[in-house]
Amino acid sequence: MMLVRAFISHYRRHPLQLAALALMIVLATMLWTGVTVLTDQARTSLFQSEQAVATRVHVVRTDAQPVGVDDFAQLRMAGVCVAPWLEIQRPPPEGRVIGIDPLAMGCFGEAAPGGNAGELDGAPFLDISEAAKLADDGYDSRLYLLTANGSVVLPEGYALRDFSLGPSTGELADSFLLNLDALSLLVLLITGLLVRSVHRLGIAQRQQSFDLLYRFGVPRERVRQFLALELVVLTGICVLPGLWLGAQLAGMLGGGFGQALDSLFDVTVYAGSAESLPWQAAGVMVVLVLAVCLVDWLLPRRWQTAAVSARGRLLAVAVLLFGLVGVALAPGLGWVFVGTALVFAGTGWLTPGLLALLARWLSDRTDGKASDPLTRWRRRELAVMFSHLALPVVALQFAMATVLAVQALVTTFEQTFDEWLAQRLEAEFYVEVPRGADAGLAAEHLQSLAGIGAWHRVIRGEARMTVDKGESVPVDLFALTPVSDLVAGWTLLASIDQPWRGLEQGGVMLNEQLARRRQLDVGDNLTVTIADSVISADIVAIYADYGRPAGEILVAGGALPESFRARFESFSVNPGDLDMADIREQLADVWSVPEVTVRDNASIRALASQVFGQTFLLTRAISLLTLVLAAIALLIMGWVFFTTRVWYFRLLGIWGLPARAIQRQLRRLSVTLTLAVTMAALPLGIWLTWVLVSRINPLAFGWSLPMDLYPLFWIELGLVAAVTGLVVAHLMRRQLVQRAGEAQGET
Amino acid sequence: MSSAVLVARGLSKDFTSGGQRVPVLSGLSLCVRPGESLAVVGRSGSGKSTLLNLLCGLQAPKEGLITVAGESFRRPRKSSERSDDDARWAELRRRSIGVVFQEANLMPALSLVDNVRLRAHLAGHATGGERGWLERLGVGAEADRYPDQVSGGQAQRAALAMVFAMAPALILADEPTGSLDRHTADAVADCLFAMQGDSGCALVLATHDSELAARCDHLLDLSALDPAGTE
Amino acid sequence: MRMRFGVIVLFVAAALAGCSDSSTQGGFAGLAQQVGEVDERTFLQPQPGDRLVFPRDWGPHPQHRIEWWYLTANLETPDGKLLGLQWTQFRQALQPRPLDREPPDPETWPLEAAWMAHGAVSFEGEHWFTEKLARGDMGHAGATAEPFRVWLDDWRLQAVPGSDEWRLQVAGEDWRYDLRLANTGGIVAHGDEGFSAKSASGEGSMYFSLVDLKIEGTVTLGDKTLEVSGTGWFDREWSSQFLKAGQQGWDWFALHLETGDKLMAFQLREDDSAFLSGSWINPQRDVESVTGDELTLTPARWRETQDGRVPEEWRLKIPAQDVDLTIKAPPGDYWNSGLYPYWESPVSVTGSHEGVGYMELTGYGP
Repeated sequence: MMLVRAFISHYRRHPLQLAALALMIVLATMLWTGVTVLTDQARTSLFQSEQAVATRVHVVRTDAQPVGVDDFAQLRMAGVCVAPWLEIQRPPPEGRVIGIDPLAMGCFGEAAPGGNAGELDGAPFLDISEAAKLADDGYDSRLYLLTANGSVVLPEGYALRDFSLGPSTGELADSFLLNLDALSLLVLLITGLLVRSVHRLGIAQRQQSFDLLYRFGVPRERVRQFLALELVVLTGICVLPGLWLGAQLAGMLGGGFGQALDSLFDVTVYAGSAESLPWQAAGVMVVLVLAVCLVDWLLPRRWQTAAVSARGRLLAVAVLLFGLVGVALAPGLGWVFVGTALVFAGTGWLTPGLLALLARWLSDRTDGKASDPLTRWRRRELAVMFSHLALPVVALQFAMATVLAVQALVTTFEQTFDEWLAQRLEAEFYVEVPRGADAGLAAEHLQSLAGIGAWHRVIRGEARMTVDKGESVPVDLFALTPVSDLVAGWTLLASIDQPWRGLEQGGVMLNEQLARRRQLDVGDNLTVTIADSVISADIVAIYADYGRPAGEILVAGGALPESFRARFESFSVNPGDLDMADIREQLADVWSVPEVTVRDNASIRALASQVFGQTFLLTRAISLLTLVLAAIALLIMGWVFFTTRVWYFRLLGIWGLPARAIQRQLRRLSVTLTLAVTMAALPLGIWLTWVLVSRINPLAFGWSLPMDLYPLFWIELGLVAAVTGLVVAHLMRRQLVQRAGEAQGET
Repeated sequence: MSSAVLVARGLSKDFTSGGQRVPVLSGLSLCVRPGESLAVVGRSGSGKSTLLNLLCGLQAPKEGLITVAGESFRRPRKSSERSDDDARWAELRRRSIGVVFQEANLMPALSLVDNVRLRAHLAGHATGGERGWLERLGVGAEADRYPDQVSGGQAQRAALAMVFAMAPALILADEPTGSLDRHTADAVADCLFAMQGDSGCALVLATHDSELAARCDHLLDLSALDPAGTE
Repeated sequence: MRMRFGVIVLFVAAALAGCSDSSTQGGFAGLAQQVGEVDERTFLQPQPGDRLVFPRDWGPHPQHRIEWWYLTANLETPDGKLLGLQWTQFRQALQPRPLDREPPDPETWPLEAAWMAHGAVSFEGEHWFTEKLARGDMGHAGATAEPFRVWLDDWRLQAVPGSDEWRLQVAGEDWRYDLRLANTGGIVAHGDEGFSAKSASGEGSMYFSLVDLKIEGTVTLGDKTLEVSGTGWFDREWSSQFLKAGQQGWDWFALHLETGDKLMAFQLREDDSAFLSGSWINPQRDVESVTGDELTLTPARWRETQDGRVPEEWRLKIPAQDVDLTIKAPPGDYWNSGLYPYWESPVSVTGSHEGVGYMELTGYGP
């Protein structure tokens, strides 16, 4: 009982300390829970999508033409159980929908694909007739004919292929999940550091009481048991609201997350919001908290002192270098993460010591200047703080570096994507070719118009690309005719001289995804089957193609054989001297349709931008939340730490330094501290940016981005740090005043 | 009296304890001239530390007048007066009043010599003679060590060096040898009195130690003046 | 008169009324949601005085809500074992299509009509059944009058070119049959020259039958192929009626009697009464309508099955014709367990006349 009273009385006297620890655990649990719920949802969704099509294959035409309604009827009448699967890609918020025919699925029995899809309410399934209407409205659509795996006897002219929701994106989606896992591990690491630092500080303050208890005859083991028990109870209590908050967080981010998955990998988040609280996250948190707080009892003391010894530092440098080299040379995503972890470990190990060293060096530099021993004191004090606040300093450094890198990635992506979109949307108007209409007639008509500006016809369909050993894989086919000035402004990632002429003369261009996946480069020769003809062509250029995983080849329209059937056709038109309304009417006449859908540049741009706005929402949100958490932790830590130094600030007052001057010192000290952490975060953040755009992104998403830096954001981050510092100073000032009041209570 | 460094008249101070006002000092007066030393003794709680706090402006009296080095202070009536007083007190502590506590007189982040340098700098003295002060107090060899690297006696000597380096008019010492063993305490006290004699400054020393108190010119026993009259 | 009158109709009725009966929604996976309100008057209703027109009426009637092509056959193997089989194809319109309107474009995956086919074989106490569904107007399910052809996926009944015969090919998962059908008689129009009343208040359907089908072919059950031959009964019926409120189900019989007479009889069961009707077809194939006053139909014995209790034995009496029949299902379980389960079994007839036939019972079970 005495022990319990002693333990409780400490917190009664220092309720803020308890509150700080509790807050840390709650916030850490929230963040971790939020991330795990989302990752789990993504995993479940991927799993479900794979399940939905796991035992399923789809029927393709051996002439590489897309399958159509007549193929469906013909296969059914030949006794093949096939069901249509009509995918419509729409911009958010609707996103992708899949049209299915519940009647046709009857032949699958229980194992119907999407059979447990529930209601046909467009999330994502709806009746195929509704989906077909959307396709008619001009959304990109694609029909698959699913069949059951097994001994299916197909009529001549058809073949079976494995059906996957996003063509060959399985690995990419895995990488995406790996990315999320890595991010959540980073979050876990940061939160662990924070919880530990707050806890250690409390223990340090209570050391005297523990010594006293020991002198009263309480074995140290027993004190430890009580400490562990106290921690278990506290964690148990704090994990609950943390879990709940985390679930709320996941709910808030879930929509954007679904969109991101959808637009990135064609994976719809079926799992939806978590129905029950993710208890396993609670378990992880309890273990984490206990581990980081009680690890000192487990590790030999020798190790702990060795960590900050010269030899320990040398080891840290070795770890850091090993990580840097590892990331640069890593063959796969997993190794990149291992290398990154090593770099983080090495950096975290070294940073507080280096910062302290730097502060001491700076203070020594003032040695010669008799002018200001106070500055010297402040820098010395700073050095002490770097050592004592090592853990929260490192946590803040990691969080800032992550935010910095993610911000750079996202901004680079947005800018690159904007530019890319601008290149792609060179024309003023886009005309959808209505179903069944002959695009050739329209092309002839446009050709005959005097005064019309640049225009071309866009044809999309499927082709097969021969890879090693005669095996062939499906790729999206993109054709342009004529190769007009509209494409002249495209930035190509790699190309021969005069790539567009090369294209007209029978070359092919590849999107970056395909080039990376198949390790193809300009000048390589490619064998492509388009409809019934086999084309051998040199790669003349590789172009960026953001936001979707599918591999694509671009050919000149002239290379398409007669038998080729397009999946989607449109015209990009600059009307030039003509009026677009007239062209529209003329095309309606040419096609004998009442209405022709024409979109202007701006509306397409808006649609496309919306899709991609969602892509990095989650990453950005998580990293920002981590930063907030780290800042709060530093705030608490800084505050609590300053409390232990409050006497020395009073000493300054006793030595006659006016209160304002003391507060100025306090501000300078805390702001220098947070700004120094920001500075320390910069190199790590820049390096992490490089890792994200040049190493992880190509592996996880299939495309790379240029490496850009955004010093303006560094300044913003610096401002956040400065504000954190000022808040610490302000809290501290209150503490000084309060202490002065307390001093009057003594005699 | 006009040449006195420190004059206090009718000092009173109360504390609130358990909702009740408890008088600690009541109508206390004292006077210390340059070169004089005054020992303040009394049992625990009799108000020794409080008196010293009043005499250097860290606390304000309920009633009474304090004059230090020609600056006079009454209990401030308005907040503007208070901040004015605070500034005058700060200036006095900076240049004229040296304060020594039982322990923790040094900035742990600075070496002994840097501590002395900082204190002298605050007092407005050109730096340069710090090592000399440390040597005079017998800790010259430890000048570049940090407070946690020296003994308690050495730390107190360094604290005294800091005080003398600022050339104070008045030294307020609150149990300066309280945490030292007899032998060390005597040595530190020897230093204190020797240096005080040399510099001609006034000394007010609060202590439990009757031997130490006996070395002072005057004695003020707060227990004998118990305002609550419990003795 | 066939059970389908109820089965699909009930389904659509539920769908249109926004009824959320899970059993009806489960199977068609929300198909109902696609059906908007349909103006009842736009479906054509059979009226007394409507006449059959050939060859048109072999084909589909897009202005009517429901119709079917329905074959039951009482066959024998070479060693004299009895084998019953059934093939039915239903058309269920979700919206009527006037004669002057073109069928919808398959590219739009239209949902104006749904097709359903049932195939079943009953042999030695065992019953095989398969159901197929299809969206209409897509090409893989439909019917044409000339040449006569009714198909859904690879199941088809079609006129053999250059002969008067039809060929029926149906395959379930582990069974199939391939039959040739020759009509040795004429066309039997029920009711008022094809208009068959279905309630006392005069609603009804257009209904004719072929009762003299000579059938030969093979039936494969598992890895065993049987030569079969015998007699079939083919029904064509179309209407736009729902089952009336209060009607629970029906019992329908098509009987081949050894005297050369044929008998079709049914009753629509209501809460405390029934609407009975039938056709007595003499060897000269004169059709005599039998009304409810002249016909009694009573369950004589019940059979407990896994899916519920059904009347396995019936007494059918037409006193004016001196007909008193005991109609009995062979041992076994003859549920067609599709979206809407019903009982369809071959029967033997004893009593005033001997014979064989088919019996369809709906509205029983759990």
